[in-house]
Amino acid sequence: MSASTSTDPLEDKIIDLAKEREKGITNQDIQKELSDIPAADWTKVINKLLKNGTLELFKDNNELFYRFKDPEKKGNLKGSDNEEKVVYKIIEESGNKGIWIREIRFKSNLNMTQLNKVLKSLETKKFIKAVKSVAASKKKVYMLYDLEPDSSVTGGAWYQDQDFESEFVDILNQQCHRFLQERYEDALNQGGGPLLIRNRSYATANDVHKFISELGISKIVLSVEDLESILYTVVLDNKAERIVNANGLNFYRVINRFLPSPGIVKTTCGICPVAHRCGETGQITPKICSYLTDWLKE
Amino acid sequence: MSTQLGKVVSLILLERFGEYVETVGSCLFKKGICPLQHIRVYTQLPASKVKESLCILIKYGLVNYEANHNRTSALYTIQTSKILLMLRYPKYIRFMKTKFGDEAEIILEELLQSGYCTVSDLIIRTYNRMGKDDQTPTPLVDIRDKIEAMITARYLMRIKLPKIEEAVPELVRNVQDMYKMPEVELSQLSKKQSGEPNVIMKDTGIFWQINHDRFHEDMRDKLIESAIENKFDASAAEIIRVMLQQMYIRTEAWADTTNPIPILEVKDIIKKLHPNSDKVAFFDNYINIIEQDSSNIIRKAGEASGGSFQIQMKDIFTQLTWETIQQIVLEKFDSKAARIFCLVKNKSYIEPDQIQKMAMIPAKESKKLTYELLEENFLQVQELKKAPASSGPAKSFILFHIDLSQVVRMVLELCYKSLYNILTRRNHEKIVNKRLIDKKHRVDTIALSMKTQGASEEQLGDIDEMITPPEKEMLTVIEGTMRKLNTIELEIDETIFLLNTYLAYE
Repeated sequence: MSASTSTDPLEDKIIDLAKEREKGITNQDIQKELSDIPAADWTKVINKLLKNGTLELFKDNNELFYRFKDPEKKGNLKGSDNEEKVVYKIIEESGNKGIWIREIRFKSNLNMTQLNKVLKSLETKKFIKAVKSVAASKKKVYMLYDLEPDSSVTGGAWYQDQDFESEFVDILNQQCHRFLQERYEDALNQGGGPLLIRNRSYATANDVHKFISELGISKIVLSVEDLESILYTVVLDNKAERIVNANGLNFYRVINRFLPSPGIVKTTCGICPVAHRCGETGQITPKICSYLTDWLKE
Repeated sequence: MSTQLGKVVSLILLERFGEYVETVGSCLFKKGICPLQHIRVYTQLPASKVKESLCILIKYGLVNYEANHNRTSALYTIQTSKILLMLRYPKYIRFMKTKFGDEAEIILEELLQSGYCTVSDLIIRTYNRMGKDDQTPTPLVDIRDKIEAMITARYLMRIKLPKIEEAVPELVRNVQDMYKMPEVELSQLSKKQSGEPNVIMKDTGIFWQINHDRFHEDMRDKLIESAIENKFDASAAEIIRVMLQQMYIRTEAWADTTNPIPILEVKDIIKKLHPNSDKVAFFDNYINIIEQDSSNIIRKAGEASGGSFQIQMKDIFTQLTWETIQQIVLEKFDSKAARIFCLVKNKSYIEPDQIQKMAMIPAKESKKLTYELLEENFLQVQELKKAPASSGPAKSFILFHIDLSQVVRMVLELCYKSLYNILTRRNHEKIVNKRLIDKKHRVDTIALSMKTQGASEEQLGDIDEMITPPEKEMLTVIEGTMRKLNTIELEIDETIFLLNTYLAYE
């Protein structure tokens, strides 16, 4: 966003010009300095710079001046007192992670009532904003108004108003698995030997990302990293494996299990929730166990 | 050695050998190593009964003895693992049947029933048994050849014999002769079979028993094969089968890692067995994918003569055990918990915060599941305490991890418990329905004897009607129950086998 990152040489020229003259530059100045450039072009650039706040426009003696605005001083606190400036500075330092009210209090040495007042006033002036953190639902953190909160605060794509959307994750998990499964079946149908089948059944997060985007099951835009973490849950479910290739890219592939489910969990005893309380005597015994009876009746 | 195991063992002994043997067995289990006097006092049985029970247990290899320090009397120890193996007998028998045919089935059955016996005895018993079962008995010579084949394949081995006449004789066996077929004269054999008295066989005093380890090797190989088949396909399994077969030439059966197997040798065998199949065409492909698989099944040992590979027996079983435990967690606590379990496994040590983030489970649920797993001992907790800082609250980190061998032992306990429950339930069902089962037996015997006496269809029908329709219905239900309990008993045993093999490799 800032001027220094712009690639347009014309933009740089105008900014340099504006930096040189602290009083500001007029239309005539620009015309004089950039005589080889048509007016239509530089007005376009001026408009753009005005829009993103690199230049500001003011009037003096019925003449229009463009003046360079230091991006660091962008949010200059007009009409703010010293307390507000201090608090603003503290919040600014915390970046997009935000800062907790308690810590502002420690750092600024202001008392609670005064701090609350200052924060409220900054909030109404839209210099800062309060964001609820997902880590602790009652904890509010403050950060500058125009900042996008960090994913550690909002929880990233998986949170909506501090609630983890586990259904959404489950659906994505299933769809990712389905995609990998189809990939594998396609490879199987194409044939060409076990090695080829295996190599064809690998998919990257990018492939899955494309598939999920086209599927349109997600209202929000998911990043490739988001899908990497979803794919990792598929790996954890023992339905896929992940390998890293030479370029550091992750590849995913469905795998089969080695064994069918073990004999022990085919009985009720293997999965019995009260197995540790079961004995020869007492209320829970194998002789009258209703779980066993039900299983035998099946 | 747990109480649970003790209960299973005593149930098995009770079922197969009766009350006295069970009392002596349980006493030995509880007391550990015991001399005869102690057993007698503890069990309050007459000395003759105790001795008889011990004889039976020793005959079947379920009790061992050794001399005490001044070699005057014997100390007895119970072999719990051997007793548990009795549940596996049906599997052994089926195995023999598929490998050596119907005669082998009967041979093994007879041998298991008697604990140990001589080859000539075994031949005659098998012959008589076949005659009883309305089969045309196989000629004696064929039976002998079958037994010889079983001995050469090391399914049978000689037992140890007492060497010196001391108070407590020492048991010895000549290792070289362990799998050497004794001389059996057919002429003598047929004389003895036809009931001639005073026939002296040449192999008198050479007794044979089954070699459990050999059966377990086969079971292990089958397990690996079927695992490979599930994971890859049948062709890969066939290649592994041949590799395992080649393994025995060079390596001790229970080594962690086999000695290198030249791959060309395997390829040649595959070529001979399955000419023009995809196993030959894609042989290198298959070796490649098996080698590159993350589960470390085989490892390249050298490039010479087309490359040689080692089979990672220990790693395979570690892998299989992990999978089994994961399955158990999955069935017991559902998929979310299985995901957490797998995550902890992959990360080896992990903080609770990371668990919920990486497993993508809501904080509350993940906490609940993690602590549930902890409560049931599938997870372990490791607390890391920071050195007390001068200021601020003392912080400590909680890390979750898994101790696989501990989990395996715990699951084994669970297996024993289930086994005990299944056996108890089966006995209970038998007692509850005793009247009906007895009646059925009676009717069956009457029908059979009438039939041999040449009774008419009508009479047979009358006898059949002695069991009323509701009773018949009950009987089918009982039969179904018994069948189900029997199957599950074998399936639990499969889990026990896998876990025990893992512990053996560990």
